[in-house]
Amino acid sequence: MVKSFNSEEGNVIDGIDLKVQQGEVVSLLGESGSGKTTLARLIAGLEVPNSGEIILDGQTVANASTLVPPQNRMVGMVFQDYALFPHMTVLENVSYGISNNEGKENRAKEVLILVGLQDFGHRYPHQLSGGQQQRVALARALAPKPKVLLLDEPFSNLDASLKRELRSELFQIIQKSNVTALFLTHDTKDAMAVSDTIVVLQNGSVVQSGSAKELYDIPMNVYIAALFGPIVRLSAEDLDCFNYSADESKTYAIRQNHFKVNKKEFSHSTKVTVEESTYLGSSFLNSAKLPNKKKIEFVSLEKMQDTVLIGFETGTLMVF
Amino acid sequence: MFNLKSLKRDTNRWSWYTLFLVGFVTLPLFALFIRTFSGPGESWSHLMDTVLVGYAINSLLLVLGTSFFSLLLGISSAWAVSRYRFPFKKTLEWLLIVPLTLPSYIMAYAYAGIFDYGGAFSVFAKALGLGYDKVDILNLPGLIFILSISLYPYVYVASRAVFLYQSSRLIEASSLLGAKESKTLFQVVLPMARPAIFGGLLLVVMEVLNDYGAAKYYGVSTLTTGIFRAWFALEEPNTAVFLSIILLLMVFTFVVLERWQRGNRSFQIATKSDIRLQPIHPSKRKGVFLFVIASTPVFLGFLLPLFQLLKWLGITWYKTSSSDYIRIALQSMGIALLSAVLTVLVVLMVIYFPKWNRLKILKGSTSLATLGYAIPGAILAIGVMLPTLQIDRWLLKLSQSVNGSDFGTIFLLNGTIIALVYAYIIRFLAVGFKPLKGSQLKLGESLSESSKLLGKSTLKTFFKIDAPLLKTGILSALLLVFVDIMKELPLTLILKPYDVNTLAVKAYEYASDELIMESALPSLTIIIAGLLPILFLNKLLLQDSRSTKEKNRRTIH
Repeated sequence: MVKSFNSEEGNVIDGIDLKVQQGEVVSLLGESGSGKTTLARLIAGLEVPNSGEIILDGQTVANASTLVPPQNRMVGMVFQDYALFPHMTVLENVSYGISNNEGKENRAKEVLILVGLQDFGHRYPHQLSGGQQQRVALARALAPKPKVLLLDEPFSNLDASLKRELRSELFQIIQKSNVTALFLTHDTKDAMAVSDTIVVLQNGSVVQSGSAKELYDIPMNVYIAALFGPIVRLSAEDLDCFNYSADESKTYAIRQNHFKVNKKEFSHSTKVTVEESTYLGSSFLNSAKLPNKKKIEFVSLEKMQDTVLIGFETGTLMVF
Repeated sequence: MFNLKSLKRDTNRWSWYTLFLVGFVTLPLFALFIRTFSGPGESWSHLMDTVLVGYAINSLLLVLGTSFFSLLLGISSAWAVSRYRFPFKKTLEWLLIVPLTLPSYIMAYAYAGIFDYGGAFSVFAKALGLGYDKVDILNLPGLIFILSISLYPYVYVASRAVFLYQSSRLIEASSLLGAKESKTLFQVVLPMARPAIFGGLLLVVMEVLNDYGAAKYYGVSTLTTGIFRAWFALEEPNTAVFLSIILLLMVFTFVVLERWQRGNRSFQIATKSDIRLQPIHPSKRKGVFLFVIASTPVFLGFLLPLFQLLKWLGITWYKTSSSDYIRIALQSMGIALLSAVLTVLVVLMVIYFPKWNRLKILKGSTSLATLGYAIPGAILAIGVMLPTLQIDRWLLKLSQSVNGSDFGTIFLLNGTIIALVYAYIIRFLAVGFKPLKGSQLKLGESLSESSKLLGKSTLKTFFKIDAPLLKTGILSALLLVFVDIMKELPLTLILKPYDVNTLAVKAYEYASDELIMESALPSLTIIIAGLLPILFLNKLLLQDSRSTKEKNRRTIH
């Protein structure tokens, strides 16, 4: 699929091909500008693709000649700002999208129970906390039983402490309701915590997709490697210091926490001069110089100073 | 990229409605341009040789002079009330907007009285021992004075907003760096506020070029009064059209200049803040000086002319307060209300139809809403006159060929209320568009998008979500347009049906018939009608900002 807003600025979505299984929870991981929001809006029908095709549950909703309007797509969406209707109560908000008139109230109550807000039906959105508002938004999106649920950065408005609690809560609810969900985030930890599959987007294209473990262990490139934790890039000359003969044409990197300190048995090790050791709570982040004056950072459990021996296991070195 | 298949796919009914709307709004302009191809009227070359340059120079001098004095009055008073604390500041802050309720032609009539024999000025001069009996202000400088004191509020409103909210952090930073107030004003605030202030000034310029009543009464021949002469006295529509084109070119030159000076204004948004600037306490003597600065525009632009009109009202009350007056007042308000309601409806269509349409080329047509306000009323009236006359001729021919009967010269559009209301809608689209578009932007897209994703149709979404949440915006738009239509003169003069009269036209007729004292009653009625909604709107807008603040506070917690 291809989408551009302005032909001079290039494509926002540049040839994405993505398949999601029924009932799967997929994270779309990418920085702002990676095209994840545009992709979600294309699926929802809020944007029109330039070319390509979108198929929902066997039905073509967008291609060169057809375009099903958003109201007929059965796509649910939880907006970044929740977009709760401020002039309606929680119950009215949740009932809004349910088409079946007789079952309306039952279904609304059912979803409110699912999100644990059965006692808040008569309140107005502004009388709720941020977390509660988010659950109402989720309940409202789930109420009409959508084919796909889109969640656009649902945690970006919340405090870090609240976020972890809500994250697991939110995804328990999603798992319980058995809906196919696409979760948009720029936070790798969020993506790793909640989804079966992570799709990494960069500049409107899919860079790599797979389970969290696959992406962490076998990243396709340095960008993805860095996305899943801080890394240190090493040149062939740097690796020489570690007694490792590198191929000049390749790129090497290692995670900061894969350096091991004072382990004589590693064949690939070198002496470094520690310049600074910063306390991080459970560990120390050290800034040090290799014998060739290149600056690197590594993690240790104790405070480091002066000259120490660091090394790595061959398996932890990432080669691209 | 052009693709017939996707063109067909993306065209929906809103695309057609948008196209129709574009036609509806631009028809008068098209009519004018098409008419220019029939060449100018007989007197055109004569006009060119004699008065045309004079008309243009007068218009230009009016624009320049009024701009200068509006900037002076507007900026100084805005700086005083937003930066300092002094007696009656709160009241003055509000009163400084009030001269907008006095249309410039009424201001012109009142001041003709003030400077006449035995008027307020001669009484004042005598008390001071000066020997002035009468000052002649029925000339170009006089007109510049009139237009400046009635139009400076546009500059005041724009400047005050920037001073209070957009530049407050910069003013504080400048003071902390030890800069004197004057340095802060001239080196930090004014350069930064320039785009916004010039935006307000553009409204002043448009009003100056729109003015007919004041210029006519003061005997200053401008391009606008020239159009009237060509139309009514010379009876040469083609000459009027040619003059209109020249005036339009002038207007658009100013519009382009304003756009150009605005350039890259992103630096303003970066410093925008909700925290109001804290005013400083000046010394007593300075406080008095500031009071004078802030109260002079109010005195000149509202209190003094109001006093003059009330004095006249006392003299002529028994004559003018007839059943005829009540009939005209009701007629005036009826037309204004009807037109305001229709204008707001069209504004909503102009905002929503292009949005609902999926064709990118039509998305931008929303900006057409602001077109009408740039076109002076007299020109718009002619632009409406031309096509409605033509349509009436066709209809007449059609009915004759169908019925074979002759209806005589009964026109369905031209010279009827329909043409008048149509012109009002186009002219005041921009007035209603501003508050409504503002409310709509504040509302954001996600609410209506949510509604659509929850299976509701476009129209249902509008009525259940947008409309109830836009209530304040809709009401504000309605009131603002209503007041502006009540005040409107040049367009009404050309397009009003024979048997219909408005208060504005009545005031103008009295003044033209040398019955200037009698114009007090209709003038004061217009002022009161203008004051009441502004009082109401003030309250309404304050409530609105309070409730959004409440909302913001809640979402933070």
